[in-house]
Amino acid sequence: MTSTIEVHNLTKRFGKLIAVNDVSFSVTENKIYGLLGRNGAGKTTLMQLLTGQEFATKGTISLFGQAPVENAKVLQNTCFIKESQRYPENFRPKDVFTTAPWFFANWDPKFAERLIADFRLPLNRPIKKLSRGQLSSIGVIVGLASRAPLTFFDEPYLGLDAVARHIFYDRLLEDYANHPRTVVLSTHLIDEVSNLLEHVLVIDDGKLIINEDAETLRNRATTVVGMKTAVDTFVGARKVLHRDGIGGLSSVTVAGLNESERRDAKAAGLELSPVSLQQLIIQLTSTDTKEFEVSA
Amino acid sequence: MTTTNPVLAHPASPLKRVTNVTRLHFANPWTTLGLPWIILGVILAGTLTIWWLIFSALSPTERVGALNGTEFGGSSFFIFIYMMVVAIQAISITFPFALGYGVTRRDYYLGSSLAFIILAVIYTTGLTILAAIEKATNGWGMGGSMFAPIYFGDSALGRAYVEFLLLLFFFFVGAAIATVWVRWKATGVTVFFIIVGVLLVGLIALVTFTDSWFVVADTLVDLGIIGVASWSLVITAISAVAGFFLLRRATPRNSA
Amino acid sequence: MDDSRPIFAQVAENIENDIISGALPEEGQVPSTNEFAAFYRINPATALKGVNVLVDEGILYKKRGIGMFVATGAQEQITGARRDKFSSEYVRPLLAEAEKLGINSTQLTQMIAKEAKNS
Repeated sequence: MTSTIEVHNLTKRFGKLIAVNDVSFSVTENKIYGLLGRNGAGKTTLMQLLTGQEFATKGTISLFGQAPVENAKVLQNTCFIKESQRYPENFRPKDVFTTAPWFFANWDPKFAERLIADFRLPLNRPIKKLSRGQLSSIGVIVGLASRAPLTFFDEPYLGLDAVARHIFYDRLLEDYANHPRTVVLSTHLIDEVSNLLEHVLVIDDGKLIINEDAETLRNRATTVVGMKTAVDTFVGARKVLHRDGIGGLSSVTVAGLNESERRDAKAAGLELSPVSLQQLIIQLTSTDTKEFEVSA
Repeated sequence: MTTTNPVLAHPASPLKRVTNVTRLHFANPWTTLGLPWIILGVILAGTLTIWWLIFSALSPTERVGALNGTEFGGSSFFIFIYMMVVAIQAISITFPFALGYGVTRRDYYLGSSLAFIILAVIYTTGLTILAAIEKATNGWGMGGSMFAPIYFGDSALGRAYVEFLLLLFFFFVGAAIATVWVRWKATGVTVFFIIVGVLLVGLIALVTFTDSWFVVADTLVDLGIIGVASWSLVITAISAVAGFFLLRRATPRNSA
Repeated sequence: MDDSRPIFAQVAENIENDIISGALPEEGQVPSTNEFAAFYRINPATALKGVNVLVDEGILYKKRGIGMFVATGAQEQITGARRDKFSSEYVRPLLAEAEKLGINSTQLTQMIAKEAKNS
């Protein structure tokens, strides 16, 4: 399997602030990666480094086997959609969709047309006069229709309402299934996208703390709920990730259970409940729940 | 359904990449072509109105030569200064946008420079045509002179040459200022102007203390406007090169 | 998709349910992995994993160039496997719950007979 992205010991310092701290990982081609983390964790900086928009303080990056900085050959196969994209004065969405194909060789105009209709984007209204949601949808459409072999979405759906966001997820999945490409999606709305992801990268305070297959990560934990005594018996000597309880009820999160263990638990009258990716990441980073937004 | 693997796009030829950036500047030409011409039109209308008011207040005999001094006016100068504004706007906003499209800084600067040169050609042509119309209508029917300021010399060709070079000057100085802005923001621009100010004051002081103003005056007269315009090319070139190197390390940080 | 089991396992189980109910008949074609992915709103790789579980078990098979099909005898195979697990998956929890409520096995058997007569 080819590595589309290879990062070694990447560090980025802004004065005293270390935005990206000695990060190393690789991204395999044609998978959907989630780049997750709190606000300000370093996701955007990391993406800007990967696309050559920011310069690394230390470390190496290679995209398609080459350094991305000032590298037209590599950058032409990359599309980076930012959350807050500013457009030239007086541009209308129409102008964006006229100019984007010049820069993305794989641009699909029919797909773009369909998306424009899906998001109900008024093509001729000046961008200055668009709502936040409409503005965000421009970026989303460009990112999808570009069919760039390596596409980054940096929380570009923050302005979109829940309906529009799900349109985005659906179109992304559908298009990715028929036209595979490498997609890196950054977000702090983890639960909404968790099923779309094949691999998860979690950044906390500039450091890469989780780098795992999404499925494996999800099965890392299960929550066992029931009477305190029954739960404790079942849990036994297992590693406990999180413990909660009220009255005589106990809720303990333990490392993933296999089929027979699950049957045992159910036989003991215990309830098993899933640990969402968001919950898991919160627990693994021992972060205050308030730090993560709950999706609408 | 068959799935297709993404083909690593054939890199567009270097020339194509540069011209794509140039096209980008003209995709929605309101700021580069629309607004400036409209403003020029407004200034022309305003100037004509003022002349007409003067005219109507005078008797027919007084009218002849009434607008004789207008060739010393500077109403068409605005367009040159405005080009600096256009360049600054174009670069500070389209730079982060173009980076988002995967354009390299090098291609961006070259493409933008080409756009400025094309704009300079367009404006020079426009001004020359307006000057020709002015001449043909005998100063807009009133003997006035707006598009042929005396400062630019007597020949239409000479005027065009001077105008073209002046436009380039303001474009590239504007571009250089814009790259300082993109790279270091307000702090950078302030420092830049302070440095320029200090240099200018220093130069003036130098000339004053060596009592060489007459040398300066003589040189200017000897050079003539054409010569001065040709020398301005030096500063234009320096700005262009400086802008290129400054942009190489610029990032779209906080430009969003 | 709220179950705490791996998503691919849930996909496999849903397909199995459809096979038992006859919604996906034997020797009939099943939707492509991409269609499953779109339907369940999951990553195609996960859908593929779920489908592959059934392929490995011989419940589904692939016809080159056409797609995935339900194997003959799949219904029997699935029902058989489930029957084996029925005891541990349904009976044991039932007994545990009954015990919690103070219902002994005789009362339980009576309840079962009564419900069977009524349904």
